Amino acid sequence: MDILKRVAIIGVGITPFKARYLDRTYFELAYDATKLALEDANKNGAEITHKDLHSTVYGIYNELFERQFMPDIFVNSYLGMNNKPGTRVATGGATGGYTVRMAFAEVASGLSDLCLCLGLEKCNDCYDEQTGVTTPEVLNAIAYSADMTYEYPMGMMAASSYVSMVNAHYEEFGNPTEEQMAYVSMKNHGNAILNSKAQSPMKITVEDVMNSRIICYPFKLLDCCLYSEASAALILASEKKVKELGIEKPIWITGVDAANTDCFIGNREDMGRLYSNIYAAKGAYKMAGLDYNNIKKQIDLAELHDAFSGQEVISYEELGFVAFGEGGPWIENSFEKAGEGPWLDGELPCCPSGGLIGCGHAVGATGIMSTGEAALQLRGDAGKHQVHIEKGRAISHSIGGPGAAYAAVIVMTNEEGLKK
Amino acid sequence: MSDHFQDHQIRDVIKINYKYSMGGQSKFFIELMKNKKLLGTKCTKCGKTWMPPRINCSDCYTPADWIELKQTGTIEVSTIVWYTTSAFIKAIPYGVGFIKLDGAETALLQGIFSENLVPSKIRKGKKVRAVFNKEREGKMTDFFFVPEEEYDNWINKPEFEGGK
Repeated sequence: MDILKRVAIIGVGITPFKARYLDRTYFELAYDATKLALEDANKNGAEITHKDLHSTVYGIYNELFERQFMPDIFVNSYLGMNNKPGTRVATGGATGGYTVRMAFAEVASGLSDLCLCLGLEKCNDCYDEQTGVTTPEVLNAIAYSADMTYEYPMGMMAASSYVSMVNAHYEEFGNPTEEQMAYVSMKNHGNAILNSKAQSPMKITVEDVMNSRIICYPFKLLDCCLYSEASAALILASEKKVKELGIEKPIWITGVDAANTDCFIGNREDMGRLYSNIYAAKGAYKMAGLDYNNIKKQIDLAELHDAFSGQEVISYEELGFVAFGEGGPWIENSFEKAGEGPWLDGELPCCPSGGLIGCGHAVGATGIMSTGEAALQLRGDAGKHQVHIEKGRAISHSIGGPGAAYAAVIVMTNEEGLKK
Repeated sequence: MSDHFQDHQIRDVIKINYKYSMGGQSKFFIELMKNKKLLGTKCTKCGKTWMPPRINCSDCYTPADWIELKQTGTIEVSTIVWYTTSAFIKAIPYGVGFIKLDGAETALLQGIFSENLVPSKIRKGKKVRAVFNKEREGKMTDFFFVPEEEYDNWINKPEFEGGK
């Protein structure tokens, strides 16, 4: 494929991920993230405002959360983006990653020189009257994403969908074990302690995870991310704009790809893996000139889609970090060994932000937060959870939808990384 | 504007009624409801057996024929749900899994019931058989699967019956 223009992330704006914002509507949250992204883009003296942005791509997953169909047009109004193109992307948990892909395409194609890539979600306005809490109704709003004829009536939901793949993987390879999954939870909740925007910072042990209540066998409460409310925004710019605005540390998007595997898990030849992850990763790495078989040594960090701890383990394999069947041992055997495994000080830190388990999952915002977090890491601006940057490259990863059918992978590079 | 923020929430509900047409898949639901049959489809070109049924083969863009499938099968993967959506929370714990019916190439998501619902009872490889509600509406909830050794007990309950 011939990319017409190079594309850089020049601004990152992420609101705190919180259980509930009573003082913000979804469009007000979007405004906050956009304003933060503009301030970030302007910190070296540029003076762009929302009026300078040519277009927007909106990542908003679930109309039932927002209690509004086509919520993007109401955001568009509130952001003062009238009379410009704005397009919504909705691909379940992968909405963020897919939104970055489409915003990249806006700039790479020449349709837009400055594009706002905005994700948001506000789920906890859903409310279950019978239990007097939000979560069962949030889960119900999500469950309508399953096939309404064959799957929803069976009580299928996000956790049972992901757990099917993890259980099938376990049957094939004997892992991830419950303890190996617990290490992911411990790592990501722990990383979140260093991230002031995270919803679930926790210093916990493997035993704490093992002793937490069962949700969906073998997932326990601490294996699962919490649904969150937040917005995240990126400002993407063409090379011409990067130079014109004097952006000092542009983060170049060098690879994007996405794939949808069969949404009916029962139709898949191998239920224990997501081929969408494999195709998206291979495509994005190839576009960035990287090698799937050697990727672990070519990037500094990965922000993964750890909606459930077991899925992070399988993603290590699908994204090419380790061979199939070695994901569980990779995290378990590297615990408390500096320079090894996916830990914050490991050979390839995975989810240094805390990921979804640590930060929370504000669905449409999540993949944009992950991409923004990876960009901040490559700039050296991540804060307390900054990891060592040597190669100048990072990836972000999004999956979601029925049977986690959608996947997107983004590869980013700082200026030094481009020369390597 | 006051310094002290005071929140305001309203109660609301979104509800839509349907009389939903099952289109080309209608035969599957009619045969399930009237005759307790489980119909899949078989591609007239590549021979792939689809369950859930598709009247067209998505692999080779060729029409598929209806075929009756056996009501026995094997669990490919399963789980037991202990916390769930507002619509199902009263049903916990419940088992769900992907079942490959004998002769089918794809696996069907269904409820797996057991008198002793523990993970080892409904693991991969376990043989299961379909049990039908006596009162059927032509919906997926008209039937479920049980471990083969429990089949006789289940079909002897007043509200259920065995297939053909």
